[in-house]
Amino acid sequence: MSPTDTLRFATRAATAYPLRTALMTLAMSIGVAAVVVLTALGDGARRYVVGEFAALGAQLLIVLPGRTETGGVNPGSFVTSTPRELTNADAAALLRLPLVQRVAPITVGNTEVAAAGRLREVMVVGTSTDFLELRGMRMAHGSFLPREDFERASALAVLGDAIRAELFGHEPAVGRMIRVGDTRLRVIGTLAPGGQGLGMTTDELVLVPVATAQAMFNTNGLFRILVETTRRDALPAAQRQLEELLRARRDGELDVTVITQDAVLGTFDRILGALTLGVAGIAAISLAVAGILVMNVMLVAVTQRTAEIGLLKALGASTASIRAAFLTEAALLSVAGALTGFALGHLGAWGVRLTWPVLPAWPPDWAVIAALGTALGTGIAFGVLPARRAAALDPVQALARR
Amino acid sequence: MQHSRDVRTAMAQIELDGINRLFRLGDSEVHALRDVSLRIEAGDYVSVMGPSGSGKSTLLNLLGLLDRPDGGNYHLEGRDVTTLSADEQAAVRSARIGFVFQSFHLVPRLTAAENIGLPLMLAGLAATERSARIAQALRDFGLEGRAHHRPEELSGGQRQRVAIARATIMRPAVLLADEPTGNLDRSTGHEVTALLEALNTAGTTLVVVTHDPAMGERAHRWLRMEDGAIAQDLRRHELPA
Amino acid sequence: MRWQDSLHLALRALTAHRLRSFLTLLGIAVGIAAVILLTSIGEGLHRFVLAEFSQFGTNVLSITPGRQGARGGPPGLPSTARDLTLDDAAALAQLPHVRQVSASVSGNAEVRAQGRVRRTMVLGVGPQMQEVYSIRVRIGQFLPPDEASSARAFVVLGAKLKRELFGVGNALGERVQIGDERFRVVGIMEEKGQFLGVDLDDAAYIPVARGLALFRRDGVMEIALTYAPTVPAAQVAESVRTLMSARHGREDFTIITQEDMLATLSNILAILTAAVGALGGISLVVGGVGIVTIMTIAVSERTNEIGLLVALGARRRTILAIFLGEAVVLASLGGLLGLAAGIGLAQGIGLLLPAMPVSTPWHFVVIAQALAMMVGLLAGVLPARRAASMNAVDALRAE
Repeated sequence: MSPTDTLRFATRAATAYPLRTALMTLAMSIGVAAVVVLTALGDGARRYVVGEFAALGAQLLIVLPGRTETGGVNPGSFVTSTPRELTNADAAALLRLPLVQRVAPITVGNTEVAAAGRLREVMVVGTSTDFLELRGMRMAHGSFLPREDFERASALAVLGDAIRAELFGHEPAVGRMIRVGDTRLRVIGTLAPGGQGLGMTTDELVLVPVATAQAMFNTNGLFRILVETTRRDALPAAQRQLEELLRARRDGELDVTVITQDAVLGTFDRILGALTLGVAGIAAISLAVAGILVMNVMLVAVTQRTAEIGLLKALGASTASIRAAFLTEAALLSVAGALTGFALGHLGAWGVRLTWPVLPAWPPDWAVIAALGTALGTGIAFGVLPARRAAALDPVQALARR
Repeated sequence: MQHSRDVRTAMAQIELDGINRLFRLGDSEVHALRDVSLRIEAGDYVSVMGPSGSGKSTLLNLLGLLDRPDGGNYHLEGRDVTTLSADEQAAVRSARIGFVFQSFHLVPRLTAAENIGLPLMLAGLAATERSARIAQALRDFGLEGRAHHRPEELSGGQRQRVAIARATIMRPAVLLADEPTGNLDRSTGHEVTALLEALNTAGTTLVVVTHDPAMGERAHRWLRMEDGAIAQDLRRHELPA
Repeated sequence: MRWQDSLHLALRALTAHRLRSFLTLLGIAVGIAAVILLTSIGEGLHRFVLAEFSQFGTNVLSITPGRQGARGGPPGLPSTARDLTLDDAAALAQLPHVRQVSASVSGNAEVRAQGRVRRTMVLGVGPQMQEVYSIRVRIGQFLPPDEASSARAFVVLGAKLKRELFGVGNALGERVQIGDERFRVVGIMEEKGQFLGVDLDDAAYIPVARGLALFRRDGVMEIALTYAPTVPAAQVAESVRTLMSARHGREDFTIITQEDMLATLSNILAILTAAVGALGGISLVVGGVGIVTIMTIAVSERTNEIGLLVALGARRRTILAIFLGEAVVLASLGGLLGLAAGIGLAQGIGLLLPAMPVSTPWHFVVIAQALAMMVGLLAGVLPARRAASMNAVDALRAE
């Protein structure tokens, strides 16, 4: 049979039983759609997280006090209760390094803020002027902390958007006086809303000069130091410089830990990537089930169309062309199912993008190709047995039945 | 309105009164039965003949409560069965009516015994109760050796005997046969006809639709249908066999 | 019609087309196997993590300074809330139902011994720490029950720290220097291994008052206490809250019960397990579509038979039940096969990868089988209704 005839034979066979064909297409499309939507979701999450990290600067290094030989992180390293603390002087020294562009010392604590007769628990971040750039935040009103010596405890504060709204409502906050802990501070600016990143939402923060915070919480140490290098590719070199400098300042002992944004990001990327793959793989099992259905229905069809096949053979069709005709039928079903599933999957991904606008939920190309390919492959693979059965029918017996 | 009851005080077993049945085929309408009125007494042996499309199968289906008329009444054993609900009609079919079809309509995956026992199963009888009655039926119809055979392993005559056994196992009042010998060769056809007539002699009303005049003439009452109406309704006088 | 007969008829219908029925139920089996396998792994993980947490004792309650709920951030941050003090801990010990109390502070410090130096985690704890955290001394003894403010300069080493500093030699009675002070080793802790990435054996335990001095703090980071197991956690939490609020003037602390933590964790893990099960369920849905397809074919193949049944006096309900029954039996058989395969695979994985915890609780099995039957029921509805509403006359006439 010519390819056109084969195709026509297969198409007519499929359309002869519309309900059956529709159900088989549905079965296959569920699997493909599931893979497409889930990979879109997973990839969206991955790109969101990576994007958030990237927004914070791929040139960022974080210095943490404390170190354990066993490596990794331990609860002790999160808090400044080491005998030797990170100090403002350390931060200032880091700023003088050639590969370092910006430095922001950070100390944090919990306290109450009082203003306009209202009281609220907040987290206070003591830092310096470069924090704004380093974290990619934007001002809404007024200005950020001024560039000054890290040791200068000015009585200034910058409010996150949510704090501003809760304390002052619609009134302007800049210029007002607030009491943070036991200290009176003047508000010199408020942050624009948004500005999430790495868990800390800036909307709920009050930012003050680092020395002010240290006085407030009666500590001399720093929670972290954020360091931005001049160039992305300077990161490893910068890390070495940092460690050398800090070691020198500590009598040859490196009791600090330096983390690169990259390393953390890489881990996240890999984890989320693997997760997406796993999830998609599980969804793809349904394609095998769809394949089983295709085989099942086609085997039934062969039994039901025995006379037709016998006739074809009697009219001179070869075993190969009968086989080809049935395989084409299976392939057509798979293609129809895959395309329908593809369309449905994109619809689903669109729905995800509507529900969670932050997630760039687009199915990645590799997933789409894999899904379509698997669907097609499964369909054809499961069509082999029915095709062989059809081809092996004895025409005389086939025609004699019924 | 025409009274279907005259001086006779007892109602006939089957009373059709002004039955109409209309079929819509695309744009055209087919008047399968026009104002048909009919009385059949219990124990009657009736044959229904006529050209194809005359309405004889429709008549049989209506008699068997497989179809509803569009107009008129149907009284079976004194009861108006036209207005019964589907479930009630099913109950009547189960208990009072037996069908024999041209193409037997045996369930291919069930054995002869299981096929015969189907009506009992549908009526909710337990397996233990069924087996005795099925065994009796197998004996009555000469099918003991074939009890566990499936239809594909039976000859045409045996299949029809199974079908008749199935049709009568609930001891119906009426037996409706649609071309019962149509798929059988002549001698087997004779056997089956003899079987049906024996049942009729024993008291079951028998209505046979056939296009074979030889078969039709054996009945005691001949109905001829044409164009949806009864053209002829003759009684055969009992002649020595 | 009796249910035994329905079942019998359904089985006969299924065995009439063995391959077809098998392939159909295989679809359900794959779906159920996937669901059971995945949820077994999830549940195994769930139990494993809970057990890890529970090793620290279950009647535990911890108090931390500052109201954590509001701002989040890591625990132990400085705050302008009033410190939790050793006096607070002493007061809590007096509460009814409270058994043991351990105030603690922790941080990073250098430990020197035998000419070796190691920067490690140092914890200042109370003498009752062993009972509160269910971690015990293996050699020697734990910190003696001295008065907190005048606790002697003793130290208990974690197993790994001891090895790093002292090798295989005896460490008891030896002196180590932590920060600026010297401590005498009185005990070595049992090996506990890693817990959520933290090496519990790489630590040194000193009296809390000395820890406060070492890290230059006035307040402890946490007070943990155990209570009588018969008392509900909420009640103990309430009495703690009342006492501490009175002492501090307001509620500037956070109380966490082990129950709360476990409950939250358990919830998260349960949701994850369910989500993963739902993923496997996608295959089950496709299996259901398979049943719909095959039953639709069956109904159209057996049109004659349906007409016959009506002629024999079957009610609509009965015909519905017959076909629905076949779908449910198919799905149930598929479910059983899937359960066997899924549980078998789960156990196999558990054997091959001892690190991977698997657990298949009975109620999962029951739910999975019920799910399979429900899929069969739903899948069979449409074809069965089609069968039941067929016109008998047309059905008898069909090919």
